[in-house]
Amino acid sequence: MSSSAEWEVVIGLEVHVQLHTRAKVFASSSWGFGQEPNEQVDPVVLGLPGTLPVVNREAVEKSILFGLVVGAEIPARCAWDRKNYFYPDNPKNYQLTQKDFPVVIGGSVEIELPGPSRNVMGEHKRVRIHHAHLEEDVGKLSHAGSGSLVDYNRAGVPLLEIVTEPDLRSSAEAEAFLRSLVAMLTQAGVADCDMEKGQLRCDCNVSIRHPGAPLGTRTETKNLNSISSVRDTVIYETARQIRELEAGRAITQETRGWNAELGRGYVLRDKEDAHDYRYFPDPDIPTLELSRATVERLAKQVPENLYDRQRRYMDTLGLPFTAASVLVANRELAEWFEAAVAAHPANPQGLANLVANDLLRDLAAASGAPTGFEEAAPAPVSLASCPIKPAQLAGLVKLTDDGVISKQQAKEVFAEMFKSGQDAAAIVDAKGLRQNSDTGELEKIVQEVIADPAVAKSIAEYRAGNEKAINALKGPIMKRTQGKANPGLIDQLLRKALG
Amino acid sequence: MAEGFDIDHLAKLARLSLTAEEKALYSSQLNSILGHFQALAQADLPATIDDARVVRESALRSDVPGPSLGAAAVTRIAPAARDGQISVPRVVDDEA
Repeated sequence: MSSSAEWEVVIGLEVHVQLHTRAKVFASSSWGFGQEPNEQVDPVVLGLPGTLPVVNREAVEKSILFGLVVGAEIPARCAWDRKNYFYPDNPKNYQLTQKDFPVVIGGSVEIELPGPSRNVMGEHKRVRIHHAHLEEDVGKLSHAGSGSLVDYNRAGVPLLEIVTEPDLRSSAEAEAFLRSLVAMLTQAGVADCDMEKGQLRCDCNVSIRHPGAPLGTRTETKNLNSISSVRDTVIYETARQIRELEAGRAITQETRGWNAELGRGYVLRDKEDAHDYRYFPDPDIPTLELSRATVERLAKQVPENLYDRQRRYMDTLGLPFTAASVLVANRELAEWFEAAVAAHPANPQGLANLVANDLLRDLAAASGAPTGFEEAAPAPVSLASCPIKPAQLAGLVKLTDDGVISKQQAKEVFAEMFKSGQDAAAIVDAKGLRQNSDTGELEKIVQEVIADPAVAKSIAEYRAGNEKAINALKGPIMKRTQGKANPGLIDQLLRKALG
Repeated sequence: MAEGFDIDHLAKLARLSLTAEEKALYSSQLNSILGHFQALAQADLPATIDDARVVRESALRSDVPGPSLGAAAVTRIAPAARDGQISVPRVVDDEA
Protein backbone atom coordinates (compact mmCIF):
# COMPACT_ATOMS: atom_id res chain seq x y z
CA MET A 1 0.00 0.00 0.00
CA SER A 2 1.32 3.39 -0.94
CA SER A 3 0.34 6.65 0.61
CA SER A 4 1.31 10.25 -0.14
CA ALA A 5 3.29 10.43 3.08
CA GLU A 6 5.86 8.07 1.61
CA TRP A 7 6.66 10.30 -1.34
CA GLU A 8 9.42 12.86 -1.39
CA VAL A 9 9.37 15.68 -3.93
CA VAL A 10 12.64 16.73 -5.52
CA ILE A 11 12.80 20.21 -7.06
CA GLY A 12 15.44 22.00 -9.09
CA LEU A 13 15.02 25.52 -10.42
CA GLU A 14 16.42 27.42 -13.39
CA VAL A 15 16.03 31.09 -12.59
CA HIS A 16 16.40 33.63 -15.40
CA VAL A 17 17.27 37.07 -14.12
CA GLN A 18 17.62 40.22 -16.20
CA LEU A 19 20.80 41.93 -15.03
CA HIS A 20 20.87 45.56 -13.99
CA THR A 21 22.61 47.18 -16.99
CA ARG A 22 21.81 50.10 -19.28
CA ALA A 23 22.76 48.50 -22.61
CA LYS A 24 22.09 45.01 -23.93
CA VAL A 25 24.53 42.15 -23.39
CA PHE A 26 26.11 41.88 -26.86
CA ALA A 27 24.81 45.10 -28.43
CA SER A 28 24.74 48.75 -27.44
CA SER A 29 20.98 49.17 -27.74
CA SER A 30 19.35 50.32 -24.52
CA TRP A 31 16.60 48.33 -22.85
CA GLY A 32 13.88 48.91 -20.32
CA PHE A 33 10.30 48.09 -19.55
CA GLY A 34 7.37 49.92 -21.11
CA GLN A 35 8.89 51.13 -24.39
CA GLU A 36 7.02 51.08 -27.70
CA PRO A 37 7.58 47.77 -29.58
CA ASN A 38 10.83 47.40 -31.53
CA GLU A 39 12.17 50.81 -30.49
CA GLN A 40 15.12 49.25 -28.63
CA VAL A 41 16.62 47.22 -31.41
CA ASP A 42 19.86 47.67 -33.33
CA PRO A 43 21.54 45.70 -36.14
CA VAL A 44 23.48 43.48 -33.70
CA VAL A 45 20.28 42.48 -31.88
CA LEU A 46 18.75 41.47 -35.21
CA GLY A 47 21.92 39.65 -36.28
CA LEU A 48 22.03 41.55 -39.56
CA PRO A 49 24.87 40.65 -41.96
CA GLY A 50 28.17 42.29 -41.10
CA THR A 51 27.40 42.85 -37.43
CA LEU A 52 29.47 41.45 -34.58
CA PRO A 53 28.43 40.96 -30.97
CA VAL A 54 30.74 42.45 -28.32
CA VAL A 55 30.20 41.50 -24.69
CA ASN A 56 29.04 44.17 -22.26
CA ARG A 57 31.54 44.50 -19.38
CA GLU A 58 28.85 45.43 -16.87
CA ALA A 59 26.86 42.27 -17.64
CA VAL A 60 29.97 40.15 -17.04
CA GLU A 61 30.78 41.99 -13.81
CA LYS A 62 27.22 41.70 -12.50
CA SER A 63 27.39 37.95 -13.21
CA ILE A 64 30.70 37.64 -11.35
CA LEU A 65 29.25 39.69 -8.48
CA PHE A 66 26.37 37.23 -8.22
CA GLY A 67 28.89 34.38 -8.10
CA LEU A 68 30.77 36.08 -5.29
CA VAL A 69 27.52 36.72 -3.37
CA VAL A 70 26.76 32.98 -3.37
CA GLY A 71 30.36 31.95 -2.72
CA ALA A 72 30.83 30.37 -6.14
CA GLU A 73 33.97 29.70 -8.09
CA ILE A 74 34.72 32.27 -10.79
CA PRO A 75 36.62 30.34 -13.45
CA ALA A 76 39.61 31.88 -15.21
CA ARG A 77 37.84 31.71 -18.55
CA CYS A 78 34.31 31.72 -19.85
CA ALA A 79 32.97 31.31 -23.39
CA TRP A 80 29.75 31.60 -25.39
CA ASP A 81 27.93 29.09 -27.57
CA ARG A 82 25.18 29.21 -30.13
CA LYS A 83 21.97 27.44 -29.22
CA ASN A 84 20.27 26.91 -32.56
CA TYR A 85 16.52 26.88 -32.96
CA PHE A 86 13.99 28.37 -35.33
CA TYR A 87 11.33 30.35 -33.56
CA PRO A 88 10.15 33.91 -34.17
CA ASP A 89 11.18 35.14 -30.68
CA ASN A 90 14.74 34.80 -31.87
CA PRO A 91 15.87 37.04 -34.75
CA LYS A 92 19.18 35.26 -35.42
CA ASN A 93 17.85 31.67 -35.27
CA TYR A 94 20.27 31.07 -32.45
CA GLN A 95 20.56 32.30 -28.92
CA LEU A 96 23.95 33.29 -27.56
CA THR A 97 24.44 31.40 -24.31
CA GLN A 98 27.15 29.64 -22.32
CA LYS A 99 27.03 25.86 -22.43
CA ASP A 100 30.41 24.45 -21.46
CA PHE A 101 32.21 27.39 -19.88
CA PRO A 102 29.81 29.40 -17.70
CA VAL A 103 30.88 32.50 -15.80
CA VAL A 104 29.84 31.12 -12.40
CA ILE A 105 30.35 27.58 -11.08
CA GLY A 106 28.94 26.25 -7.80
CA GLY A 107 28.08 28.25 -4.70
CA SER A 108 25.02 28.06 -2.48
CA VAL A 109 22.13 30.15 -1.22
CA GLU A 110 21.05 30.08 2.42
CA ILE A 111 17.29 29.97 2.84
CA GLU A 112 14.97 30.42 5.80
CA LEU A 113 11.78 28.40 6.06
CA PRO A 114 8.67 29.79 7.73
CA GLY A 115 8.72 29.25 11.50
CA PRO A 116 5.93 27.69 13.58
CA SER A 117 4.55 31.19 14.10
CA ARG A 118 5.24 34.64 12.72
CA ASN A 119 7.59 35.65 15.49
CA VAL A 120 9.59 32.42 15.64
CA MET A 121 12.47 31.90 13.23
CA GLY A 122 12.18 28.85 10.97
CA GLU A 123 14.79 26.33 9.96
CA HIS A 124 17.72 27.42 7.77
CA LYS A 125 19.19 25.34 4.98
CA ARG A 126 21.60 25.72 2.08
CA VAL A 127 20.63 25.18 -1.54
CA ARG A 128 23.52 24.47 -3.87
CA ILE A 129 23.94 26.33 -7.14
CA HIS A 130 25.15 24.15 -10.00
CA HIS A 131 26.26 27.05 -12.17
CA ALA A 132 25.07 30.35 -13.65
CA HIS A 133 25.56 31.37 -17.25
CA LEU A 134 25.27 34.69 -19.03
CA GLU A 135 23.03 34.69 -22.09
CA GLU A 136 20.72 36.93 -24.06
CA ASP A 137 17.00 37.20 -23.52
CA VAL A 138 14.71 36.58 -26.49
CA GLY A 139 11.94 38.68 -28.04
CA LYS A 140 8.38 38.78 -26.86
CA LEU A 141 5.51 37.17 -28.76
CA SER A 142 1.92 38.14 -28.43
CA HIS A 143 -0.80 36.15 -30.05
CA ALA A 144 -3.61 37.81 -31.93
CA GLY A 145 -6.11 35.81 -33.94
CA SER A 146 -4.44 33.72 -36.61
CA GLY A 147 -1.13 35.50 -36.26
CA SER A 148 1.55 36.31 -33.73
CA LEU A 149 3.28 39.66 -33.27
CA VAL A 150 6.97 39.96 -32.44
CA ASP A 151 8.60 42.67 -30.35
CA TYR A 152 12.40 42.45 -30.20
CA ASN A 153 12.89 45.04 -27.44
CA ARG A 154 13.61 42.24 -24.96
CA ALA A 155 15.91 40.36 -27.38
CA GLY A 156 19.50 40.76 -26.25
CA VAL A 157 18.75 41.87 -22.69
CA PRO A 158 21.42 40.40 -20.40
CA LEU A 159 20.02 37.32 -18.74
CA LEU A 160 21.76 35.34 -16.02
CA GLU A 161 20.44 31.81 -15.82
CA ILE A 162 20.97 30.45 -12.33
CA VAL A 163 20.67 26.67 -12.14
CA THR A 164 20.25 24.97 -8.77
CA GLU A 165 21.08 21.44 -7.78
CA PRO A 166 17.93 19.37 -7.06
CA ASP A 167 18.16 20.30 -3.37
CA LEU A 168 14.67 21.65 -2.75
CA ARG A 169 12.16 19.32 -1.08
CA SER A 170 8.88 21.25 -0.83
CA SER A 171 6.93 24.16 -2.26
CA ALA A 172 7.81 26.11 0.90
CA GLU A 173 11.52 25.53 0.25
CA ALA A 174 11.17 26.62 -3.38
CA GLU A 175 9.39 29.77 -2.24
CA ALA A 176 11.97 30.46 0.48
CA PHE A 177 14.79 29.95 -2.02
CA LEU A 178 13.34 32.47 -4.46
CA ARG A 179 12.74 35.05 -1.74
CA SER A 180 16.29 34.64 -0.49
CA LEU A 181 17.72 34.76 -4.02
CA VAL A 182 15.75 37.90 -4.87
CA ALA A 183 16.96 39.58 -1.67
CA MET A 184 20.58 38.71 -2.46
CA LEU A 185 20.37 39.83 -6.09
CA THR A 186 18.71 43.14 -5.27
CA GLN A 187 20.85 43.90 -2.20
CA ALA A 188 24.02 43.40 -4.24
CA GLY A 189 22.66 45.54 -7.10
CA VAL A 190 22.96 42.61 -9.54
CA ALA A 191 19.34 42.78 -10.66
CA ASP A 192 16.07 44.49 -9.79
CA CYS A 193 14.01 41.26 -9.98
CA ASP A 194 10.76 43.09 -10.65
CA MET A 195 8.49 40.15 -11.44
CA GLU A 196 5.69 42.41 -12.64
CA LYS A 197 8.08 43.47 -15.42
CA GLY A 198 9.21 39.93 -16.17
CA GLN A 199 12.69 40.56 -14.80
CA LEU A 200 12.76 37.17 -13.08
CA ARG A 201 11.34 34.03 -14.66
CA CYS A 202 11.64 30.45 -13.57
CA ASP A 203 11.68 26.96 -15.01
CA CYS A 204 10.74 24.42 -12.38
CA ASN A 205 11.87 20.77 -12.48
CA VAL A 206 9.82 18.42 -10.33
CA SER A 207 10.06 14.69 -9.69
CA ILE A 208 8.94 12.45 -6.87
CA ARG A 209 10.46 9.35 -5.28
CA HIS A 210 10.40 7.31 -2.14
CA PRO A 211 13.03 8.74 0.23
CA GLY A 212 16.42 7.20 -0.48
CA ALA A 213 15.37 5.88 -3.91
CA PRO A 214 17.04 7.09 -7.13
CA LEU A 215 15.63 10.28 -8.67
CA GLY A 216 12.32 9.81 -10.45
CA THR A 217 11.43 11.01 -13.95
CA ARG A 218 11.09 14.77 -13.89
CA THR A 219 8.91 17.24 -15.68
CA GLU A 220 9.91 20.80 -16.45
CA THR A 221 7.32 23.56 -16.11
CA LYS A 222 8.56 26.58 -18.03
CA ASN A 223 8.29 30.33 -17.83
CA LEU A 224 6.84 30.88 -14.36
CA ASN A 225 6.85 34.59 -13.66
CA SER A 226 5.97 34.81 -9.99
CA ILE A 227 7.01 33.15 -6.76
CA SER A 228 3.41 32.08 -6.15
CA SER A 229 3.30 30.37 -9.58
CA VAL A 230 6.41 28.35 -8.67
CA ARG A 231 4.90 27.39 -5.33
CA ASP A 232 1.58 26.42 -6.91
CA THR A 233 3.29 24.50 -9.72
CA VAL A 234 5.23 22.40 -7.21
CA ILE A 235 2.06 21.62 -5.25
CA TYR A 236 0.12 20.80 -8.42
CA GLU A 237 2.85 18.76 -10.07
CA THR A 238 3.63 16.77 -6.90
CA ALA A 239 -0.03 15.81 -6.50
CA ARG A 240 -0.32 14.94 -10.19
CA GLN A 241 2.77 12.72 -10.20
CA ILE A 242 1.70 10.90 -7.02
CA ARG A 243 -1.71 10.29 -8.59
CA GLU A 244 -0.14 8.95 -11.78
CA LEU A 245 2.32 6.63 -10.05
CA GLU A 246 -0.20 5.34 -7.53
CA ALA A 247 -2.57 4.57 -10.41
CA GLY A 248 0.20 2.45 -11.90
CA ARG A 249 1.06 4.86 -14.72
CA ALA A 250 4.53 6.18 -15.53
CA ILE A 251 5.66 9.82 -15.49
CA THR A 252 6.54 11.09 -18.94
CA GLN A 253 9.54 13.37 -19.14
CA GLU A 254 7.86 16.42 -20.65
CA THR A 255 7.83 20.17 -20.85
CA ARG A 256 4.84 21.77 -19.24
CA GLY A 257 3.21 25.17 -18.94
CA TRP A 258 1.32 26.74 -16.06
CA ASN A 259 -2.00 28.53 -16.27
CA ALA A 260 -1.93 30.82 -13.25
CA GLU A 261 -5.52 31.95 -13.71
CA LEU A 262 -6.92 28.43 -13.67
CA GLY A 263 -4.27 27.16 -11.25
CA ARG A 264 -3.35 24.17 -13.35
CA GLY A 265 -0.49 22.83 -15.43
CA TYR A 266 -0.63 21.49 -18.97
CA VAL A 267 1.60 19.71 -21.43
CA LEU A 268 3.27 22.08 -23.85
CA ARG A 269 2.94 21.24 -27.47
CA ASP A 270 6.35 19.99 -28.43
CA LYS A 271 8.30 22.59 -30.39
CA GLU A 272 9.23 19.89 -32.89
CA ASP A 273 12.59 18.63 -31.70
CA ALA A 274 13.33 21.93 -30.03
CA HIS A 275 15.75 20.04 -27.83
CA ASP A 276 18.04 19.40 -30.76
CA TYR A 277 19.83 22.70 -30.29
CA ARG A 278 23.06 21.75 -32.07
CA TYR A 279 25.21 23.86 -29.76
CA PHE A 280 28.60 24.97 -31.03
CA PRO A 281 31.10 27.60 -29.86
CA ASP A 282 30.15 31.03 -31.15
CA PRO A 283 32.81 32.02 -33.67
CA ASP A 284 32.13 35.75 -33.24
CA ILE A 285 32.79 36.00 -29.51
CA PRO A 286 36.26 35.05 -28.32
CA THR A 287 36.78 33.16 -25.08
CA LEU A 288 37.01 35.69 -22.26
CA GLU A 289 39.82 35.60 -19.73
CA LEU A 290 38.67 37.00 -16.40
CA SER A 291 41.34 38.75 -14.37
CA ARG A 292 41.77 38.00 -10.67
CA ALA A 293 42.06 41.75 -10.10
CA THR A 294 38.49 42.21 -11.34
CA VAL A 295 37.24 39.40 -9.13
CA GLU A 296 39.01 40.92 -6.12
CA ARG A 297 37.62 44.38 -6.87
CA LEU A 298 34.08 43.00 -7.16
CA ALA A 299 34.50 40.96 -3.97
CA LYS A 300 34.66 44.26 -2.09
CA GLN A 301 31.17 45.13 -3.37
CA VAL A 302 29.58 42.02 -1.87
CA PRO A 303 27.22 43.19 0.88
CA GLU A 304 26.86 41.42 4.20
CA ASN A 305 24.79 38.30 3.70
CA LEU A 306 21.13 38.70 4.62
CA TYR A 307 21.17 35.95 7.24
CA ASP A 308 24.61 36.81 8.62
CA ARG A 309 23.18 40.24 9.26
CA GLN A 310 20.06 38.76 10.85
CA ARG A 311 22.18 36.56 13.17
CA ARG A 312 24.26 39.60 14.12
CA TYR A 313 21.15 41.64 14.93
CA MET A 314 19.74 38.85 17.09
CA ASP A 315 22.96 37.70 18.77
CA THR A 316 24.91 40.94 19.15
CA LEU A 317 22.21 43.61 19.25
CA GLY A 318 19.67 41.44 21.04
CA LEU A 319 16.84 42.11 18.59
CA PRO A 320 13.85 39.79 18.44
CA PHE A 321 13.51 37.72 15.24
CA THR A 322 10.48 39.69 14.04
CA ALA A 323 12.29 43.05 14.01
CA ALA A 324 15.59 41.59 12.73
CA SER A 325 13.92 39.81 9.80
CA VAL A 326 12.03 42.92 8.72
CA LEU A 327 15.17 45.08 8.84
CA VAL A 328 17.49 42.72 6.94
CA ALA A 329 15.01 42.20 4.10
CA ASN A 330 15.87 45.69 2.86
CA ARG A 331 19.57 46.57 2.74
CA GLU A 332 18.90 50.31 2.68
CA LEU A 333 16.64 50.02 5.72
CA ALA A 334 19.19 47.87 7.56
CA GLU A 335 21.97 50.37 6.86
CA TRP A 336 19.72 53.24 7.96
CA PHE A 337 19.01 51.36 11.20
CA GLU A 338 22.72 50.72 11.74
CA ALA A 339 23.47 54.42 11.36
CA ALA A 340 20.89 55.13 14.06
CA VAL A 341 22.44 52.48 16.33
CA ALA A 342 25.84 54.10 15.80
CA ALA A 343 24.36 57.39 17.05
CA HIS A 344 22.71 55.77 20.11
CA PRO A 345 24.28 52.36 20.78
CA ALA A 346 22.57 51.94 24.18
CA ASN A 347 19.17 50.83 22.89
CA PRO A 348 19.17 48.98 19.53
CA GLN A 349 15.86 47.33 20.33
CA GLY A 350 14.11 50.67 20.93
CA LEU A 351 15.47 51.90 17.60
CA ALA A 352 14.53 48.68 15.82
CA ASN A 353 10.95 48.88 17.05
CA LEU A 354 10.50 52.37 15.69
CA VAL A 355 12.21 51.54 12.35
CA ALA A 356 10.49 48.21 11.75
CA ASN A 357 7.04 49.41 12.77
CA ASP A 358 6.48 53.16 12.68
CA LEU A 359 9.05 54.25 10.10
CA LEU A 360 8.29 51.43 7.68
CA ARG A 361 4.54 51.97 8.00
CA ASP A 362 4.81 55.73 7.40
CA LEU A 363 7.24 55.30 4.50
CA ALA A 364 4.94 52.78 2.83
CA ALA A 365 1.96 55.07 3.33
CA ALA A 366 3.90 58.07 1.97
CA SER A 367 5.04 56.17 -1.14
CA GLY A 368 1.58 54.73 -1.75
CA ALA A 369 3.07 51.22 -1.66
CA PRO A 370 0.66 48.47 -0.78
CA THR A 371 1.22 47.23 2.75
CA GLY A 372 0.12 43.66 2.08
CA PHE A 373 2.68 42.99 -0.65
CA GLU A 374 3.19 39.35 -1.40
CA GLU A 375 5.76 38.91 -4.13
CA ALA A 376 8.55 41.31 -3.32
CA ALA A 377 10.88 39.98 -0.67
CA PRO A 378 12.44 43.31 0.28
CA ALA A 379 10.19 45.94 1.78
CA PRO A 380 9.05 48.10 -1.15
CA VAL A 381 10.17 51.40 0.28
CA SER A 382 13.01 53.73 -0.41
CA LEU A 383 14.69 55.77 2.28
CA ALA A 384 15.88 58.38 -0.20
CA SER A 385 12.97 60.66 0.64
CA CYS A 386 12.74 59.72 4.33
CA PRO A 387 12.15 62.97 6.26
CA ILE A 388 13.85 61.59 9.39
CA LYS A 389 17.62 61.09 9.54
CA PRO A 390 19.07 58.15 11.51
CA ALA A 391 20.70 60.47 14.09
CA GLN A 392 17.33 62.19 14.63
CA LEU A 393 15.65 58.88 15.43
CA ALA A 394 18.53 58.12 17.79
CA GLY A 395 17.81 61.47 19.47
CA LEU A 396 14.16 60.50 19.98
CA VAL A 397 14.99 57.13 21.52
CA LYS A 398 17.58 58.76 23.77
CA LEU A 399 14.93 61.20 25.08
CA THR A 400 12.72 58.22 25.92
CA ASP A 401 15.57 56.27 27.50
CA ASP A 402 16.50 59.27 29.63
CA GLY A 403 12.93 59.52 30.88
CA VAL A 404 12.37 62.94 29.32
CA ILE A 405 9.29 61.68 27.48
CA SER A 406 7.25 58.51 27.85
CA LYS A 407 7.08 55.78 25.22
CA GLN A 408 3.56 56.85 24.42
CA GLN A 409 4.71 60.43 23.87
CA ALA A 410 7.55 59.15 21.70
CA LYS A 411 4.98 57.85 19.21
CA GLU A 412 3.42 61.29 19.03
CA VAL A 413 6.81 62.95 18.59
CA PHE A 414 7.74 60.41 15.92
CA ALA A 415 4.63 61.25 13.91
CA GLU A 416 5.52 64.92 14.11
CA MET A 417 9.14 64.25 13.10
CA PHE A 418 7.95 62.32 10.04
CA LYS A 419 5.76 65.26 9.08
CA SER A 420 8.21 68.10 9.68
CA GLY A 421 11.68 66.54 9.72
CA GLN A 422 12.40 68.44 12.93
CA ASP A 423 14.60 67.10 15.74
CA ALA A 424 12.79 65.28 18.55
CA ALA A 425 14.05 67.69 21.22
CA ALA A 426 12.65 70.71 19.35
CA ILE A 427 9.23 69.05 19.05
CA VAL A 428 9.23 68.01 22.71
CA ASP A 429 9.97 71.60 23.75
CA ALA A 430 7.50 73.17 21.34
CA LYS A 431 4.73 70.88 22.55
CA GLY A 432 5.72 71.18 26.19
CA LEU A 433 6.01 67.40 26.46
CA ARG A 434 9.08 67.30 28.62
CA GLN A 435 8.44 65.03 31.63
CA ASN A 436 9.03 66.35 35.08
CA SER A 437 11.91 64.36 36.49
CA ASP A 438 12.81 66.91 39.13
CA THR A 439 13.01 64.62 42.16
CA GLY A 440 12.84 67.47 44.71
CA GLU A 441 9.71 69.00 43.24
CA LEU A 442 7.99 65.64 42.76
CA GLU A 443 8.85 64.55 46.31
CA LYS A 444 7.06 67.63 47.56
CA ILE A 445 3.95 66.87 45.52
CA VAL A 446 3.99 63.24 46.69
CA GLN A 447 4.03 64.36 50.32
CA GLU A 448 1.12 66.74 49.70
CA VAL A 449 -0.94 64.06 47.98
CA ILE A 450 -0.44 61.35 50.60
CA ALA A 451 -1.35 63.85 53.32
CA ASP A 452 -4.79 64.31 51.71
CA PRO A 453 -7.39 62.40 53.81
CA ALA A 454 -9.22 61.43 50.61
CA VAL A 455 -6.49 58.87 49.81
CA ALA A 456 -6.06 57.52 53.33
CA LYS A 457 -8.04 54.39 52.47
CA SER A 458 -5.82 53.56 49.48
CA ILE A 459 -2.71 54.07 51.59
CA ALA A 460 -4.04 51.70 54.22
CA GLU A 461 -4.85 49.10 51.59
CA TYR A 462 -1.41 49.38 50.04
CA ARG A 463 0.24 49.01 53.43
CA ALA A 464 -1.98 45.98 54.08
CA GLY A 465 -0.40 44.34 51.03
CA ASN A 466 -2.63 45.40 48.12
CA GLU A 467 0.04 46.39 45.56
CA LYS A 468 -2.52 47.82 43.14
CA ALA A 469 -3.83 50.31 45.63
CA ILE A 470 -0.77 52.48 44.96
CA ASN A 471 -2.12 53.34 41.52
CA ALA A 472 -4.96 55.32 43.05
CA LEU A 473 -2.33 57.75 44.35
CA LYS A 474 -0.69 58.33 40.98
CA GLY A 475 -3.70 60.05 39.38
CA PRO A 476 -3.73 63.04 41.73
CA ILE A 477 0.05 63.45 41.29
CA MET A 478 -0.23 63.41 37.51
CA LYS A 479 -3.07 65.91 37.74
CA ARG A 480 -0.96 68.33 39.78
CA THR A 481 1.90 68.10 37.25
CA GLN A 482 -0.36 68.42 34.19
CA GLY A 483 0.58 64.85 33.22
CA LYS A 484 4.25 65.64 32.86
CA ALA A 485 5.58 63.69 35.82
CA ASN A 486 7.88 60.83 34.96
CA PRO A 487 5.69 57.78 35.79
CA GLY A 488 8.65 55.64 36.80
CA LEU A 489 9.92 58.28 39.15
CA ILE A 490 6.49 58.80 40.78
CA ASP A 491 6.22 55.10 41.43
CA GLN A 492 9.66 55.06 42.98
CA LEU A 493 9.03 58.13 45.16
CA LEU A 494 5.60 56.89 46.32
CA ARG A 495 6.96 53.54 47.42
CA LYS A 496 9.75 55.29 49.29
CA ALA A 497 7.34 57.70 50.97
CA LEU A 498 4.91 54.95 52.00
CA GLY A 499 7.81 52.83 53.27
CA MET B 1 29.96 9.35 -48.66
CA ALA B 2 29.72 10.03 -44.95
CA GLU B 3 26.04 10.32 -44.15
CA GLY B 4 26.41 12.17 -40.84
CA PHE B 5 22.97 13.67 -41.10
CA ASP B 6 19.34 12.99 -41.85
CA ILE B 7 18.14 15.48 -44.47
CA ASP B 8 14.49 15.15 -43.40
CA HIS B 9 15.35 15.90 -39.77
CA LEU B 10 17.50 18.89 -40.74
CA ALA B 11 14.75 20.27 -42.96
CA LYS B 12 12.28 19.91 -40.13
CA LEU B 13 14.58 21.74 -37.68
CA ALA B 14 15.04 24.53 -40.21
CA ARG B 15 11.31 24.60 -40.90
CA LEU B 16 11.88 24.04 -44.59
CA SER B 17 9.65 21.91 -46.77
CA LEU B 18 11.85 20.42 -49.48
CA THR B 19 11.00 18.59 -52.68
CA ALA B 20 12.65 15.28 -53.46
CA GLU B 21 14.93 17.04 -55.96
CA GLU B 22 15.95 19.64 -53.37
CA LYS B 23 16.63 16.96 -50.78
CA ALA B 24 18.94 15.18 -53.20
CA LEU B 25 20.70 18.41 -54.16
CA TYR B 26 21.19 19.64 -50.58
CA SER B 27 22.27 16.21 -49.37
CA SER B 28 24.99 16.16 -51.94
CA GLN B 29 26.06 19.74 -51.13
CA LEU B 30 26.05 19.05 -47.37
CA ASN B 31 28.10 15.92 -47.91
CA SER B 32 30.62 17.95 -49.82
CA ILE B 33 30.80 20.54 -47.03
CA LEU B 34 31.18 17.82 -44.39
CA GLY B 35 33.95 16.33 -46.48
CA HIS B 36 35.88 19.60 -46.20
CA PHE B 37 35.41 19.59 -42.44
CA GLN B 38 36.66 16.02 -42.23
CA ALA B 39 39.78 17.13 -44.05
CA LEU B 40 40.18 20.04 -41.60
CA ALA B 41 39.66 17.72 -38.65
CA GLN B 42 42.60 15.62 -39.78
CA ALA B 43 45.01 18.56 -39.78
CA ASP B 44 47.75 18.39 -37.17
CA LEU B 45 47.08 21.46 -35.04
CA PRO B 46 48.98 22.74 -32.01
CA ALA B 47 47.18 22.09 -28.73
CA THR B 48 47.29 25.81 -27.87
CA ILE B 49 45.00 26.79 -30.73
CA ASP B 50 42.34 27.91 -28.28
CA ASP B 51 44.62 30.66 -26.92
CA ALA B 52 44.31 32.47 -30.22
CA ARG B 53 40.66 32.91 -29.42
CA VAL B 54 41.14 34.30 -25.94
CA VAL B 55 40.69 37.98 -25.18
CA ARG B 56 41.09 39.90 -21.95
CA GLU B 57 38.57 42.19 -20.36
CA SER B 58 39.91 45.18 -22.29
CA ALA B 59 38.06 43.72 -25.28
CA LEU B 60 34.73 44.19 -23.54
CA ARG B 61 32.29 46.95 -24.39
CA SER B 62 31.38 49.55 -21.80
CA ASP B 63 27.76 49.74 -20.68
CA VAL B 64 26.83 52.82 -22.66
CA PRO B 65 23.58 52.75 -24.63
CA GLY B 66 23.87 53.54 -28.32
CA PRO B 67 21.32 54.38 -30.99
CA SER B 68 18.45 52.13 -31.98
CA LEU B 69 17.15 51.53 -35.47
CA GLY B 70 13.60 52.51 -34.63
CA ALA B 71 10.51 50.38 -35.13
CA ALA B 72 9.92 51.66 -38.68
CA ALA B 73 13.34 50.44 -39.82
CA VAL B 74 12.86 47.10 -38.07
CA THR B 75 9.46 46.38 -39.56
CA ARG B 76 10.51 47.58 -43.04
CA ILE B 77 12.79 44.56 -43.46
CA ALA B 78 10.13 42.11 -42.26
CA PRO B 79 7.82 40.32 -44.70
CA ALA B 80 4.79 41.52 -42.75
CA ALA B 81 4.22 43.96 -39.92
CA ARG B 82 1.43 45.41 -37.82
CA ASP B 83 1.41 48.14 -35.17
CA GLY B 84 5.18 48.43 -35.11
CA GLN B 85 5.57 44.69 -34.64
CA ILE B 86 6.65 41.92 -36.96
CA SER B 87 3.74 39.75 -37.96
CA VAL B 88 4.24 35.98 -38.25
CA PRO B 89 1.96 32.97 -38.58
CA ARG B 90 0.55 32.08 -35.18
CA VAL B 91 3.04 30.21 -33.04
CA VAL B 92 1.51 28.82 -29.92
CA ASP B 93 2.89 27.35 -26.80
CA ASP B 94 -0.08 28.21 -24.66
CA GLU B 95 -2.65 25.76 -23.41
CA ALA B 96 -3.97 23.73 -26.33
